[in-house]
Amino acid sequence: MRALAIAGCNLRRLTRERSNIFFLFGLPMVLILLIGLSFGGGFTPVVGVALNDDGPLAAELVALLEEVEGIAVETFPDAAALQVAVERGRAQAGLAIPLGTGAALRAGSPVSLGYIARPDGLSPTLRSAVEGAVARQAGRLRAARLAAENGITFEQGLALARRIEPQIPPVVVETTTVGEALFPEDLGRFDLGAASQLVLFMFLTSLAGATRLIETRRLGISRRMLATPTAARTILLGEGLGRFGISLLQAAIIVGGSMVLFAVSWGDPLGALALVATFALVGTGASMLLGAALANDRQAAAIAVLLGLGLAALGGAMMPVELFSPVMQQVAQATPHQWAIAGFGELVRHGGTVADILPHLGVLTAYAAALLTVGTWLLRRTLTA
Amino acid sequence: MPALLLIASKDVRQRIRDGSAIAMALIAPFGLALIFSLVIGGAAGPTTFRYAVADEDGGSAARTFTTEVLGRAEATGSVTVRHAASAAEARALVEDGAVAAAFLLPAGFSDEVAAGRPAAIRVVGDVDAPTSTAVARAIAGAYAAEVNSVRLAVGTVTAGSGGLDPSEAAALAERLAADPRNVSIDDRTALRRELDAGTFFAAGMTIFFLFFTVQFGISSLFEERTTGTLGRLLAAPVTRPAIVGGKLLASGLVGVLSTSVLILASSLLLGAQWGHPGGVAILVGAGVAAATGVMALVASAARSMEGATNAQAVVAVVLGLVGGTFFPLAQAGRAVELLSLATPHAWFMRGLGDLAAGGGPADVLGPAAAILVFAAAAGGLASTRLGKLVRA
Repeated sequence: MRALAIAGCNLRRLTRERSNIFFLFGLPMVLILLIGLSFGGGFTPVVGVALNDDGPLAAELVALLEEVEGIAVETFPDAAALQVAVERGRAQAGLAIPLGTGAALRAGSPVSLGYIARPDGLSPTLRSAVEGAVARQAGRLRAARLAAENGITFEQGLALARRIEPQIPPVVVETTTVGEALFPEDLGRFDLGAASQLVLFMFLTSLAGATRLIETRRLGISRRMLATPTAARTILLGEGLGRFGISLLQAAIIVGGSMVLFAVSWGDPLGALALVATFALVGTGASMLLGAALANDRQAAAIAVLLGLGLAALGGAMMPVELFSPVMQQVAQATPHQWAIAGFGELVRHGGTVADILPHLGVLTAYAAALLTVGTWLLRRTLTA
Repeated sequence: MPALLLIASKDVRQRIRDGSAIAMALIAPFGLALIFSLVIGGAAGPTTFRYAVADEDGGSAARTFTTEVLGRAEATGSVTVRHAASAAEARALVEDGAVAAAFLLPAGFSDEVAAGRPAAIRVVGDVDAPTSTAVARAIAGAYAAEVNSVRLAVGTVTAGSGGLDPSEAAALAERLAADPRNVSIDDRTALRRELDAGTFFAAGMTIFFLFFTVQFGISSLFEERTTGTLGRLLAAPVTRPAIVGGKLLASGLVGVLSTSVLILASSLLLGAQWGHPGGVAILVGAGVAAATGVMALVASAARSMEGATNAQAVVAVVLGLVGGTFFPLAQAGRAVELLSLATPHAWFMRGLGDLAAGGGPADVLGPAAAILVFAAAAGGLASTRLGKLVRA
């Protein structure tokens, strides 16, 4: 088939330059590493503490924080170092305990602890962990102060409170999903960060493939192909086939590699493959459209970056669509990225299979078909103009 | 006019004529800033958390929770609470997505709380709204912590004084409820702009984008070779360094221009705080130099325009990834964080962070120097290969 011949020719052009092969597989490797380390199982958020009071009460507060499950506590010398650590991401949140805290806690006078966090989805969870530790200690101190009014010393009261605390029947909060499954304490398992990054990079690198078609046009190869009994549609398909194959292969490597090496969850493997394949098709369609429409490589680079990053942002690949305003949530539905991410959400968060993401696959295929159709029309126009 | 400047101005005019300069220097940066302002601008504003509560108990503790605790949350303006008639209705609301989470207070809750027995508040959360669910959990958790602390106080006083009769215990509980909380947590996150999502994205996109804008300096040599103009240039009394310098100057100018537009547009549209202009200028200058050098090096290793463009795109993407412009890499561990310092991107982000914290030009000299090291190294390596590149 002619399209296959064109695709084969392109692949041979590609592989002739040895450096291209390295780059083709270098990117997926880097992505596997970064996605795997960032979104794989086993991420423990760090709450930093700048402890400037060396009294026992301040130390107890830190100890209570350390008892909270699911977080790790690191100490820093002062508030400034803590600030830098949170900015650089070494800690996800920080609590500054100033000098005099212990004395104020003991006396029951007002105390203000400084809290700082990265503005991401973890913040409410970490904040409530800190508030929980503070509340536990406040409870003990209040109990001790009240007991001290009735004949025992504050220290005795505090020791008493600590001793009987485990025996007090607690009021607890049980968090579940609608389906009775326990909501995980750490949000990592339901995080769609890996899927978002994959979608972003698949589309961006697909668009970079527009240059090939531009080159083919510029060299006059497409015109010569059109002079033979070859339809413009076949030329486009041939150009696209190679690009699609590479995009799909890269994505499959990333998904498979990160799943196996880092336990990143992508949901049902067949569903993930189907999503990745249809999204690769969309990316290919977009790059063919650009390749047919634009006049030179330089224009293509500018538009590729704009569309690649812009659509990803609009589609919720950089900031979760959960945090968008209602208007922007509607706009996000118009991007293929959001459909792909929502599809992964179905697979990862709801344990869905291919059957559950059929609407998503359908929409993505429709996008791809539309892009390829318009691309073909444009190509024919520019070649026969 | 020196040959270098002539070649540079010719290149720039060519780019304006073929539309790529407008696309790269105006359309792309402006478009990006606009899109980001729409996306992040909307999200940076306070999100309203929508919850429901189903009180199947109606007792005193349950009422305290629904009216006082949830009422206080609603008064902040960032929470809305619907009242559902039953737990089933509340669950349905969550399932439909009408609310992000629901609080369920089962029958007998207040009795258990009053009697000091174990009790539970259930929060049913929408799996697609994990942040909202976390906030709901925190609200319920704060209430539970308060009740537990009252129980602890009563228990301690009882143990310390040998026993309390019910009226004493009730009086104590009331007193505790009125007791002002003396420990406050002062959230200082909003005060420091470098953690601002808008600024983070703006900074990351800027340095990422910069590497694309300077792509075509050296790689245009391939084009000139194909069209035959390179041979003619070499035949003229124009030195190789002049040719290379002219091309680098042209792409550097486009780079500076498009980055400036992006910075201006993002501060106007996105409210991104870039900090001291002098410091920003230093960082951008160093960034352009590094980008030009790196892209020149990549192009010098290629054998065709197409190969150069492909390789440059991949290198730009990899550097952007490893440099942490897309998501904070600290999540990936200390080793990866250190690795990110092997990219000019990470240093650029650090420098901007220092500026946003209120630093001046002097504070960015360190990161700028690090970036310039990349420029020098890449540029130096590229220059050794230029003899191969600049030939007819």
